[in-house]
Amino acid sequence: MSGRIVAIMLGCALLATTVQAKEHPGKEQILKEGYHGPKTCEECHPGTAKEFLKTVHWKHASKVDNVDNLDPNKEYGMKNRIYTMCNGNDIVNNLKEVPPNALGKTKFVGCNTCHPGDHTIDVGSSGPEAEQSIDCLICHSSKYDYSKRKAVKDKSGRVIMTQDRSTEAAANIGRPGIKNCMICHEGAGGGALIKRGFSMAKNDEVHVTKGIICVDCHQVKNHKFPTGRDPNNWASDGIYMTCVGECHSDKPHKDADYNRHTAKIACQTCHIPRTGGAFSKDFTKWEKQDNGFYEPSTLKREVNQTTPVYAWYNLTVSNTPHFIGPKGSRTDGKSKIYPFKIFQGKAYFNKLDGQLMSMDFAPPIANGDSLAGVASAAKILGIKKYEAVPGWQTIYFASSHQVAPKGKALTCSNCHAINGVLKFEELGYNAREIEKLTNPDLYFEKVLKIQQENE
Amino acid sequence: MYYPLAEVSCQYKNEKESVMRKLVSVVMLVAMMVVSLGSFVRTASAEDVKITGVITKIEIAADQKSAVAVLKVNDSGELVSIIITDDLTLDKFKDHRIVVGDEIRTKFEKNGDKNTSKFFKKTAGC
Ligand code: HEC
Ligand code: HEC
Ligand code: HEC
Ligand code: HEC
Ligand code: HEC
Ligand code: HEC
Ligand code: HEC
Repeated sequence: MSGRIVAIMLGCALLATTVQAKEHPGKEQILKEGYHGPKTCEECHPGTAKEFLKTVHWKHASKVDNVDNLDPNKEYGMKNRIYTMCNGNDIVNNLKEVPPNALGKTKFVGCNTCHPGDHTIDVGSSGPEAEQSIDCLICHSSKYDYSKRKAVKDKSGRVIMTQDRSTEAAANIGRPGIKNCMICHEGAGGGALIKRGFSMAKNDEVHVTKGIICVDCHQVKNHKFPTGRDPNNWASDGIYMTCVGECHSDKPHKDADYNRHTAKIACQTCHIPRTGGAFSKDFTKWEKQDNGFYEPSTLKREVNQTTPVYAWYNLTVSNTPHFIGPKGSRTDGKSKIYPFKIFQGKAYFNKLDGQLMSMDFAPPIANGDSLAGVASAAKILGIKKYEAVPGWQTIYFASSHQVAPKGKALTCSNCHAINGVLKFEELGYNAREIEKLTNPDLYFEKVLKIQQENE
Repeated sequence: MYYPLAEVSCQYKNEKESVMRKLVSVVMLVAMMVVSLGSFVRTASAEDVKITGVITKIEIAADQKSAVAVLKVNDSGELVSIIITDDLTLDKFKDHRIVVGDEIRTKFEKNGDKNTSKFFKKTAGC
């Protein structure tokens, strides 16, 4: 590791720890006067709540410019998209009480439980009431009592999301820690680590080991969150990031042999050799649980069990009813090889127009009837004529997290040996090129040296 | 719940890893001895049990390194005590992401009267 990189990494790590340890200057006043929601914060941080209402975390949508078959003037996101990781959206699966199941039990479910509002003021709303309903503390408090955040019915029968607005929680303000983010991000996709299947535990991720947390990499300004170009995370605050930036250059290795590859191979390809989570779901078939509720049947793996599929990606996305994934090729001059988790989901398509249909989960959760879920969603969306037929959709999820210790990064022989992880032919290399790329001359000396160093 | 990243591919090993391997093999050996010792004393060996139930009690040990959760099993109404030692679940008890009243799906190792959790998660749909 070069001295400079060490210094930067240390810097990043120190930044993470010192800033967190610093006491929030507003603490005394909050202790004295109590916490009365965002207006308390606004006394010293004016305009913050209004600014937050314009972000993806509030709107669950934004304009999207890199995905096929979308209207450039419309906004897309969890609010209104339909795909088969979660076969609905905030609209059809608006937080509600499901009908009683065979055992007479009900529960509250809905996609917008992962929205930092109180549900009466919903996803994307604006105005003073919306400003006042923001749950600032879910991201900013290290003493948030999560049992206070739940769906309940209020006196007038409306389903609301309660918040922890205690003085205790408000007195412990700082930059968001991993847990503040994971409270929503871990559960995405219907359960712990289901969608992305990456772990942010200290032993599993080299950055976390060094004390680097979500917001050290995602450098949030004015509540705009920088993000990447995952083919299945469309909504953005308009700021993009990659592994290359303040901490790493695109030539980060002492060894020029690795640096030469970064023009064609994304950092993640070598450094994120495994993820996990769900790789297939069937929304046409719900399984009965022993609590009487049903769940979509799901195939999944632990966080270290999925080997990625590698594909060229030029950061634009192919989007058709049966496929959402990377576009790109060896020859377009813009693509790099990226790692993806391929997910295949079964759901209903409308035979009349070929489009994927969405499902209101309330009926199938209660009684397993997935077609009743489609009917309810169609009604909510005003779709009068449809013919539901089951079918599969294949979608690609980027592997952006869980950077493995450097000893586990892919090295020469992982790719260039005959049985390497890259399918050179599928990636567009011809027979002559493949012969060259899999010739041991390419890596023999180097791998021998590495082997000797470690014996 | 989080799982350690397993051996990813057969690459070169560094010193730490080989020390780890030795350590692991020593630990394995000791574990095997303990297991075989145990089987002299008691023939019933550990088995994995899966249940879903509602938490009726959570007690975190004084040293904060373990906790016992009592679950009322959905089907039978039977009360089962389960020992939890993984940090992430413990943390969820501490900040109340998991509380009394939550429905849990768990897999635990039953060894005599001792139930040690291997998996402890809130039930959740999509
Ligand atoms: C072709 C595979 C490959 C690619 C592409 C690649 N790396 Fe690496 N990288 C490795 C391997 C293998 C190691 C560990 C061996 C070494 O350091 O020489 C490593 C080590 C590192 C280290 C640790 C350096 C040290 O000395 O501790 C950093 C930081 C790093 N890479 C960042 C990146 C970034 C950022 C990118 C993208 C710009 C990238 N890598 C692209 C294979 C790759
Ligand atoms: C009495 C004034 C006051 C109140 C009330 C107040 N703050 Fe602050 N806050 C400050 C000052 C002063 C700073 C430090 C200056 C800066 O970085 O802008 C600060 C900094 C912060 C930071 C940056 C912390 C860091 O470590 O980087 C956050 C986040 C924050 N406040 C959130 C909140 C939230 C949320 C509330 C409402 C619960 C709130 N503040 C209420 C005065 C206040
Ligand atoms: C536990 C919190 C949580 C719940 C509940 C949740 N989501 Fe999400 N969802 C997320 C997060 C976090 C992301 C963005 C990060 C990611 O994709 O990894 C996301 C992203 C999405 C996206 C992609 C949005 C885009 O910009 O392209 C869709 C579609 C989606 N969710 C659908 C749903 C549906 C449908 C439901 C309910 C059936 C649901 N989600 C419930 C947390 C949640
Ligand atoms: C979805 C999570 C989230 C929510 C909800 C949220 N914030 Fe933040 N906030 C952040 C992040 C991330 C930062 C950047 C922290 C950093 O890197 O220092 C931040 C920064 C801040 C800062 C520091 C100055 C700045 O703008 O960068 C203040 C003050 C602040 N937030 C106040 C609030 C208030 C008040 C609310 C509620 C109206 C709120 N936040 C809601 C995530 C959130
Ligand atoms: C209240 C739940 C919640 C919390 C807390 C939360 N997120 Fe999110 N986040 C979401 C949802 C839902 C989406 C997807 C919305 C969509 O795409 O429509 C999302 C999207 C994102 C995105 C991609 C879109 C964008 O705005 O760039 C990033 C990056 C992100 N979150 C990072 C974070 C970080 C870092 C934290 C912790 C400071 C955090 N989130 C806290 C729910 C949450
Ligand atoms: C080591 C730096 C780093 C850390 C730590 C980190 N991220 Fe990221 N994250 C990235 C990068 C880089 C991308 C974009 C990769 C790309 O598309 O090239 C990304 C992408 C994302 C996305 C878009 C969807 C995806 O998976 O590509 C979300 C959402 C997100 N991060 C949330 C989080 C949350 C929540 C945390 C903390 C639990 C976190 N990140 C921690 C670097 C980081
Ligand atoms: C992630 C897989 C991967 C790893 C790891 C990797 N390579 Fe490569 N390498 C490739 C690919 C793909 C190409 C072709 C890139 C292109 O199309 O320009 C390539 C090209 C090369 C070339 C140029 C061959 C030619 O004739 O154009 C050499 C030499 C080479 N690699 C050597 C190495 C060595 C030495 C290492 C270890 C230090 C290594 N590679 C690690 C995937 C990898």
